[in-house]
Amino acid sequence: MRLVVEALETGYGKAQVLFGVDLRVAEGERVALLGANGAGKTTLLRTLSGLLRPWRGRVRLGEVDLRGLSPARRARLGLGHVPEGRQLFPLMSVEENLRLGAAFLAPGREKEGFERVYGLFPRLAERRRQLAGTLSGGEQQMLAIGRALMGFPRILLVDEPSLGLSPRLAEEVLLALRAVAEEGVGVLLVEQNVALSLEVAERAYVMEHGRIVLEGPSQALRQDPRVREAYLSL
Amino acid sequence: MELLLQTLLNGLLMAGVYALVATGLALSLGVVGIVNFAHGEFLMLGAFLSYLLFAFRGLDPLFALGLAFLAAFLVGALTYWGLIRPVLKAPELNQMLLTFGLSILLQNLALLLFGADTRVVAPPYQAATLALGPFFLGAVPLGAFLLSLALLLSLQLFLTRSRLGLAVRAVAQNRLAPGLLGIEAEGVYLLAFGLAAALAGVAGVMLSVMLYASPSVGFLFTLKSFAIVALAGLGNLKGVVPAALVLALAEALVSTYLPGGGGLVEAVFFLVLFLALVGRAWRGA
Repeated sequence: MRLVVEALETGYGKAQVLFGVDLRVAEGERVALLGANGAGKTTLLRTLSGLLRPWRGRVRLGEVDLRGLSPARRARLGLGHVPEGRQLFPLMSVEENLRLGAAFLAPGREKEGFERVYGLFPRLAERRRQLAGTLSGGEQQMLAIGRALMGFPRILLVDEPSLGLSPRLAEEVLLALRAVAEEGVGVLLVEQNVALSLEVAERAYVMEHGRIVLEGPSQALRQDPRVREAYLSL
Repeated sequence: MELLLQTLLNGLLMAGVYALVATGLALSLGVVGIVNFAHGEFLMLGAFLSYLLFAFRGLDPLFALGLAFLAAFLVGALTYWGLIRPVLKAPELNQMLLTFGLSILLQNLALLLFGADTRVVAPPYQAATLALGPFFLGAVPLGAFLLSLALLLSLQLFLTRSRLGLAVRAVAQNRLAPGLLGIEAEGVYLLAFGLAAALAGVAGVMLSVMLYASPSVGFLFTLKSFAIVALAGLGNLKGVVPAALVLALAEALVSTYLPGGGGLVEAVFFLVLFLALVGRAWRGA
């Protein structure tokens, strides 16, 4: 299954934010979407998961055209989204948050999901009775990712998982995402931490002012003078 | 001393029904985010259903309980679908005007159909009492109390154990995330609003025996429920039971100890609401 975005345009009110964005993510692939604040990265993710309506262009997941489908329908089709700011249920326990990630699946798959998430983030298993609102920033991010994984997505959109985390925790979270991709999930990672994401991702897109201005293998982008100057400050 | 304990006992029994009605209001407020001034009209619906079944079919109000639950759920769900859903994103004032208007409409519809008289459902056991040492418990208030408690416990189990119940709480805590997890918030809103109405409908049947059915009986309970919900903290379900207890005990004490207390009982919730709001503002400042 592939997520295919073609000539996508959208915006807020009359202000256009995205201009003809093309992008692909295949299952098992690790793709980074890089760019400065305000480049339109979060807007793109919001449009992909149906929180925002596209003006023009197409989004397909496998054979399905996602036009007009609600965020919930898209999630059920296999598109996971770890949103900006984590958006946990603060007054519910870790376990309850995770159960909600599997709310639309057959009850039997819940157990399988718990094993997978607790295997990936053992720390969540230790804290499973604790309220989500009382977790540390890193644990909250792990919970947000784990909750999305409970629905067994084929493609996972992750918005700035390293935001507010210490470098060590950021690395831990990004490495967990690599493990997720190795299980066959396609990961589209939005990040401002360019150096780290280029290490984790195989491929990357660079966005500026709502357009994809560069794309290619991470290796090549790391050597690209424009990337080095603008994002790696080398 | 005996009088005091008897008074507290009466208050305690009333608190169950208060908590039942107010929990419904807190559900629609906390989950759907709607200030529902027509909440009491679901209660009135249950009360008149009980009266009609009793007066024209001779059906015991015990049977009306289940029917009222279903009927009120259905009417609540339809109200959500037809009236609330279109204004979910409208300004709060518009939403409040809508539910207030609905309340007035339904009250006057009942007035047209049934007249302004209060109607009491009087099954054979209406005045039965149980002696507990020196104290007397009305069989009906005791039954209503126990049933309210059972319903609130079931609701609590539903909200904490079942996945659907978790989804109801989830929607109340975060508007964005449920959709991204494959949960259609609109379905959850429908369920929560229907449940809120159903709880009020059941309470209406109880009150048709304990109090009466009349076009305005619901609105009184809307106001009392607002006092309870304000005391509990808006949308806070756990606080509703203790808050209901406070109101019911205060009313019982006023009714027993204040000269002419019977007439003042219906003003107690104003005082409770006032104190709750002042207290909240004090703490917030």
